[in-house]
Amino acid sequence: MLKRQEWLDLARKLDWSYSYVREQDVFPEEVSGRPWLPHAAWKDWDEPYRTSFSEYVTGQHEKEASITAVREAVGRIADFERHDRGWLSALKLHGATLPLAEFAAVVGNLRAARFGRDSAWRTTAALGALDELRHTQIPLEVLHELVAWDPQFDWTHRLFHTNQWVGLAARHFVDELLLTSNPIEFAIATNFVFETGFTNLQFVGLSAVAHDVGDRMFEKMVQSIQTDEARHAQIGGPVLRTLVEHDRAYAQYLVDKWFWRTWLFFAVVTGFAMDYLTPLAERKQSFREFVGEWIIEQFERTIHEYGLERPWYWAEFLKSTAHYHHLAYASAYTYRASVWFDLVLPGPDERAWLAEKYPEAWPALAPVWERITERWRDAPPGLEWYTHGVTPVGFCSLCQLILCGGTPTANSARVVEHGGRRHVFCSEPCAWIFEREPERYSEHETIVDRILAGDAPANLIELLRDYCGLNERTWGKDVRGGDYPFIERARGAASAE
Amino acid sequence: MTPSELVPLYGFVRGDVLGLLVLVRTNDTVAQLCATLQEAAQVRVAPWPRAAVLHGTRRLAPELTVADAGLTPLARVELVPEEEP
Repeated sequence: MLKRQEWLDLARKLDWSYSYVREQDVFPEEVSGRPWLPHAAWKDWDEPYRTSFSEYVTGQHEKEASITAVREAVGRIADFERHDRGWLSALKLHGATLPLAEFAAVVGNLRAARFGRDSAWRTTAALGALDELRHTQIPLEVLHELVAWDPQFDWTHRLFHTNQWVGLAARHFVDELLLTSNPIEFAIATNFVFETGFTNLQFVGLSAVAHDVGDRMFEKMVQSIQTDEARHAQIGGPVLRTLVEHDRAYAQYLVDKWFWRTWLFFAVVTGFAMDYLTPLAERKQSFREFVGEWIIEQFERTIHEYGLERPWYWAEFLKSTAHYHHLAYASAYTYRASVWFDLVLPGPDERAWLAEKYPEAWPALAPVWERITERWRDAPPGLEWYTHGVTPVGFCSLCQLILCGGTPTANSARVVEHGGRRHVFCSEPCAWIFEREPERYSEHETIVDRILAGDAPANLIELLRDYCGLNERTWGKDVRGGDYPFIERARGAASAE
Repeated sequence: MTPSELVPLYGFVRGDVLGLLVLVRTNDTVAQLCATLQEAAQVRVAPWPRAAVLHGTRRLAPELTVADAGLTPLARVELVPEEEP
C-alpha cells in the first residue's frame, strides 16, 4: 500500500498540459485574474496543510460533533437569557454580519476552485468553499434559532436581504470581496488581508472576550471556525508571492485597497463589541490594544516579508484606530432605531475606562456622551426619541458607512465631482479607492442618493419601516431604556438645583 | 423672483461625530442654515449662542441666501462656534 506522501500529490496537486485548447481559454484573464501568466509561473504554488479530502471529512466531522456537544450543553435559549444585554447585542451584530458573508465566500472559493491557476490552489479553495458553507450554517443554527425568544435575532439571516444601512455597506463590501472578485484578487483580499490579517480579531480576540463573559457557545463557535480559516487562509501567501514577483505595483494596490476596506468593516463590527457592548468588568483589553497586538504587528511584519510596503495611508489608519469606531458608535447610538440591536450608553465608569485607553481621542468624545446623558436626564422616562437623531445622515460613496472619519473637531469627509455627480467620501483612502476604479463604483447609490432620487422615503420612520425592514419591535433601543443609576442621580441633582 | 428650490447639503457640526444631510431652500439665509444644523445635531452637541457656517475656507455671512452663498446640492458645509464679540 502506498504511503500518504506517495499518493497525496496525485490527489491534490496534479496539473497537465492542454492539447486541444489554449491555456488562456481554460483560464481566461477576465475570470482567473491578472496578470495572466503561464502555468509555469504558478507551478510551485503550495501550502503547508496539504489536506486530503478524506482527512478533511474526518476532521470536519469531529469539529461538528464538538460544536453539537457544546450547543447541547450551553447553547440553548435559557443559556443565552443569562447573558448581559450588551453582550447579546454584540452577538446580534456578529450574528447578522457573519453567516451570509460566509455564504458569499463559498462563491469566491468555488470560483478559485475552478479558475485558480494551480491545481493545489484549486484543491485548497474547494475545501475552503466547504468550510465557508459550514461557517454559514453554524451561526445560523446557533443564533437564528433564538428568534423564538428575541425577534432581533431574526437579523442573523435577514440583514443581507434588507436596505438597512449596515446591510447595504456589508453587501457593497462582501459583493466585491467575495462574490465578484477573480481568484487572484480574492486570494489577496480575502485569504491574505481579511483572513490572515484581520480575523484574529474575531477568532482570538473576541473569542477570549466571549470566554471572559462566560459565553462558551460563541467562544466554541468562533474557535471552530478559526481552525478552518487558518487552513484556507494559506491560499493568500503563495498567490501574493507570485504576484509581487510579476506585478509588484498591482500587489501593493490590492493590499492597500483591501486593508482599508476590511479595517472599516472590523472597526464597526468588532470595535462596537469590544469597547461598548462587552460589560466593563469583563474587558481585558481595548479594541485598539487588540488591533495593535493582533493586526498591526503581524501585518507589518508579513507584508515586509513579501517585499511590500505599509499602505500609503498608514498614519491615517493608526490615527483612526483611536477614533473611528468611537465616532461610529456614538452615531449609531443616536440613530439606534436604524439598527437591529440595542446599544449601551457608556456610564461614568465606562467613560473613565475609555478615557484611560484612548487619552488622545476621548477629550473630544466625552462632551458628546455628556450631552446625550443630559438629554436622557431631561427626557420623560423611557422616551427614546429625545436622545435620538431625526435628520438624515450622510453615507460614504465607497464604503457606504456613515461619515465618521477623522475626529469630532475635523471630520475627514470630502466631496468629489465625478461624471457629473457629486460623491462624498468619509476618508482619503475611500476617495482614493473610488478614484482608482470609478467604473466599478460610481453607479452604486448611497441611501442619500436613493432618498434624493425619490426611491427611498426621506422621513426617518418611513425609511426605517418601509425601506430598511425594521419596526418598533426590532429596531435598536437603549439596552436599559435610559434607566441608569447615573442618569437618575443627574435627575436628582438637576431637580435639587 | 425665481422660485426657491430645495438644496440638500452635507453638514458637519464642530464637535459632532458624523456628517448630516440637511435640506434647505435656495432663498433661506445662512443664518437659517446655521439654525437647521444646530437643531440637527442637538442630541449630541449643545447649540452655541453664536455660530458660523464655513464653506471650504469661506466664512459665509449670515444674511446671505443659500443661492447667493454659492451653495449647490451636496456641497460640504461646516458649522463652528463663534466667540461673543
